[in-house]
Amino acid sequence: MSDDAFSQLVDQYYPSLYRFALSLARSEADACDLAQQTFYVWAKKGHALREAAKAKSWLFTTLYREFLRGRRRGERMTALDTVPESELEDVALTSETVSSMDGAVVMAALQEVDVIFRAPLTLFYLEDLSYQEIATALDVPVGTVMSRLSRGKAQLRALLTSRSAANTSIVVPFQPSKNKASHG
Amino acid sequence: MDNQEAKFILKAYRPGGADAGNAVFCEALAQARHDPELHAWFEREQARDKAVAAKLKSLSIPVGLRESILAGGKMSVTRRSWWQQPSWLAMAASLAIVLSLAVVSQLRTARLDLGQLTAQILDDTAHGERHGSHGQEASQLVAFLSQPTTKLGSSFPLNLGQLKADGCRTLNFAGVEVMEVCFERNGGEFHLYVMARPSSRDLPKGPQFVAQNGLHSVMWTGDHHLYVLASSKDEAALQALL
Repeated sequence: MSDDAFSQLVDQYYPSLYRFALSLARSEADACDLAQQTFYVWAKKGHALREAAKAKSWLFTTLYREFLRGRRRGERMTALDTVPESELEDVALTSETVSSMDGAVVMAALQEVDVIFRAPLTLFYLEDLSYQEIATALDVPVGTVMSRLSRGKAQLRALLTSRSAANTSIVVPFQPSKNKASHG
Repeated sequence: MDNQEAKFILKAYRPGGADAGNAVFCEALAQARHDPELHAWFEREQARDKAVAAKLKSLSIPVGLRESILAGGKMSVTRRSWWQQPSWLAMAASLAIVLSLAVVSQLRTARLDLGQLTAQILDDTAHGERHGSHGQEASQLVAFLSQPTTKLGSSFPLNLGQLKADGCRTLNFAGVEVMEVCFERNGGEFHLYVMARPSSRDLPKGPQFVAQNGLHSVMWTGDHHLYVLASSKDEAALQALL
């Protein structure tokens, strides 16, 4: 692969790959490592891929595998698999609430979603892959991706709602009083 | 499809409209257009998804990440010297095979010392044995060679495999099979030795006559074969057959 072609591939996908990595690894440094490692693997092996159109899926798949490889053994993949359907009902989270939040806060909430849901959910929000492509990238059936998206969204919205509520209760506008009270 | 099923499917519909052409969503989308409750839910769902997607995409990328990736990629690529690139390696492998074949061929030719071949043929002729064979190919060849009007010295039809199958005497010279066909002509006995034409540049361009211990031979090449005709007759007798 020529340098130009490699640069184009990096420019096209490294932002999404980094954000996907950040949601998985929960740390900026680890996310950078994962993104770099993914392109490093591409530079070594990816050029052998016959169909250039598959490069996108290949990159996301590789990053996810690299992430799984680096995880601690025995770490639980899921905590919400047993959440009953009844708890997946819509929470009162509006799009306006989300829009008013900082991007880092939304990412922090996403990072708290169980990784088994987090991976497909992040790929869904990055919008690079269809749910069928997500299934291929994560090597799970398409029905499982749909189910995990549903559960992942419910979990994320619950987390965003609680963060929004927490921010509301913590942030107190500074109001200078004329008669300064004396505190103990 | 009820609304619960439609919602389950539509939750996988990307907010940016990238799935508009995906047939999987058609039925659920149609239902959302006609069912007010589902329609309202889908609008809310899409708005929230769009807001989350926008937040994720607004996250800044660490400065220098792109450059690090590019540098790392180049390092992993340039770590290989030009001659280690797959295309060069493939070319080198092909060249090695071609050279090996050429060397083997050259070795065969080198071992196939034509002077030595002639000497051995004359030794073989000196035993004075006449070898016959059976089969159509061999009989036709003998008949052809025996005709007074037949001119040798160039190519003529031969099927070495069939000659061998017909029981024609086969000698092995330096790993190469040589057939011997005996025939009479002009009152004399002749032995024609034939082999596949070797790929040597040193093949004689014209007839090469050799005399040894009172025996004579002449070597020439055709398009596909190398011939050595040997006899106790003199060079003029051999020349007369060419």
